[in-house]
Amino acid sequence: MATDDRSDVLVIGAGASGAAVAWRLAGAGIGVVCLEQGDWVNPSAYPHWRADWELHRHTDWSAEPNVRRLTQDYPVNDQASPISPLMYNAVGGSTIHWSAHFPRFRPSDFRVKSLDGVADDWPIDYATLEPYFDLNDRMMGVAGITGDPAYPPKSPRQTAPIPLDTLGLTIARGFERLGWHWWPSDSAILTRDYDGRRACVNCGPCDLGCPIGAKASTDITYWPKALAAGARLVTRARVREITLGPDGLADGAIYYDGDGRERAQKARAVVLAANGIGTPRLLLNSRSARFPDGLANRSGLVGRNLMFHPYAMARGVFDRPLGGHRGPIGCSIISQEFYETDLARGFVRGYSFQVARGLSPIASANGGSVGDRVPWGGEHRRAYAERFDRTITVAIIGEDLPETDNRVDLDPTLTDSHGIPAPRVSYQLSENSRRMLDHGIARAREVLLAAGAREVAFNPLLRAGGWHLMGTARMGRDPATSVVDAEGRCHDVPNLYIVDGSVMVTCAGVNPTSTIQAVALHVADGMIRRRA
Amino acid sequence: MTPERLAAKRDLLRAVLDTLVPAGDGFPESGALALDHLLAIAGASAEAGSLLARALDAVETAARADAARGFAGLSVARREDLLRAVERLHPEAFDALVRHTYDGFYSHPATIARLGLEPGPVQPRGHRIEPAALPDLARVAARGPIFRRA
Repeated sequence: MATDDRSDVLVIGAGASGAAVAWRLAGAGIGVVCLEQGDWVNPSAYPHWRADWELHRHTDWSAEPNVRRLTQDYPVNDQASPISPLMYNAVGGSTIHWSAHFPRFRPSDFRVKSLDGVADDWPIDYATLEPYFDLNDRMMGVAGITGDPAYPPKSPRQTAPIPLDTLGLTIARGFERLGWHWWPSDSAILTRDYDGRRACVNCGPCDLGCPIGAKASTDITYWPKALAAGARLVTRARVREITLGPDGLADGAIYYDGDGRERAQKARAVVLAANGIGTPRLLLNSRSARFPDGLANRSGLVGRNLMFHPYAMARGVFDRPLGGHRGPIGCSIISQEFYETDLARGFVRGYSFQVARGLSPIASANGGSVGDRVPWGGEHRRAYAERFDRTITVAIIGEDLPETDNRVDLDPTLTDSHGIPAPRVSYQLSENSRRMLDHGIARAREVLLAAGAREVAFNPLLRAGGWHLMGTARMGRDPATSVVDAEGRCHDVPNLYIVDGSVMVTCAGVNPTSTIQAVALHVADGMIRRRA
Repeated sequence: MTPERLAAKRDLLRAVLDTLVPAGDGFPESGALALDHLLAIAGASAEAGSLLARALDAVETAARADAARGFAGLSVARREDLLRAVERLHPEAFDALVRHTYDGFYSHPATIARLGLEPGPVQPRGHRIEPAALPDLARVAARGPIFRRA
């Protein structure tokens, strides 16, 4: 087996968190090698440059690896889950595909046990992460506007909010009529040129990537700076297992290079940034005499406490065109009216509303995220005309609570193209989450009607909604009830770090990427401090 | 069924597509716009090809039992009735047929143009959004903090 030069730090995964930690460490003069199973995405490869761009959403540019089936993807057995995990394997990871919602977790999200008596508190708090939120905002570039009363004061946003357009202004009127909270979304999408990147031209399908770099993905934000600072990035490098030295510390990883050759990368410390499914998969595949149940898994919690954000979708139909094909597909307005716990609602914790843009032509026919396809036959023309460009979709993104039976383990037979055991996901929606989503559907209906919708349809649980993979190597002070400590170090292997969504103790009711990256930067600074 | 066999049934397929998405309001029938897409899908994916073939076989069998002239010889109402029966009996295959029909029809430049959009790639042109002032956020901001300090 070929062995590469030893590095100070090996980072596994070049997505949201791996890029951030590699940049921070390299900038401090620490030698960094990153292994990424995907490759760089060439801007010219995005479907936006082709007339049939929308067809690619359900084929080679699907967010579901089981649909996409590219060579760099691994299969995920999700038959025992009502939610399909979504991810992308490339430099930039799932930030290639994301809609770039960029809310932060709120202060209460780190103190769930103390405030509401459920789940657990994080061993770190909002104040600890605040400077990293700000730093990360500058690196990614955030469109928004300060003053949102749902948050402590934030630093100035890098660019003005993305335009609300007819659709956003319409739903804003609904929130105003009800007297509910709403605010223009914090979005990692530029509305003016910034840091060498171009402003958004409102083409629409951010979920297929951004070929001009207006939407932040870490291949164009962190990685160029990380490489300039000396980090080394190896693509098409699929890690099979993390290796241990005789002292019980991590000493590197074995991986397959782009030609399928087995190689070893040695390092003084290893950072896992492979997402909330890939990271536990890798730990569980790294068994040894010292760790027969998987690396760093003496607690038995590796892979457990899987949290998605369960999504319900409500869609209103209006009597006039809304221009919904214009502008970033996922972002316009957020509402956190029902975010904090109010037990009178029948559930603990809460949710956010996110207002997306309208549906493109094919999505309109097939029902989009609500899934109610326009009928075929003699009624088709009329039904389609009533719907196309006349819909607003409100997503209800609920806080999932950690439960040990919701988990990732290894499938006994399914493997990737290298024969490495694939992950298996087992997940059930909790009763608390169900009540929360039902409450959200009813309130979404109210706001859509208040905005002028003449009818509202809903999807009680979005299957293709597993964008956020969290909790499977949770952070905590007690080695018996957590996998990593407050600085991302595995309790069982102190030079093995985890920085992706796996470490999240709870998942809040907002998109996690901003917080994942802030945690990664926090962990990186701990590594730098200890080296000093 | 191979893509070649499916192509051999293109007249039947065209008639089915025309029934799924009829002409009207200036839109052509989907047989004219979606047929090539379905044949391409059947050629590119054995799984999709198999589903489409199963749907088409079911339509053909049902039509043969219904009239000597086959599906194309039926009235529109009778075609729809027959397709609904196939949909009930073969939901997965019929779902694929409808989905790919919609995909082909609503990605065709002629349809896009009829919808009032500009056909072709969305980059580099993007879309123009007329500048507009943000709504007044004063009411929301005036509520003061709605987060819990922890």
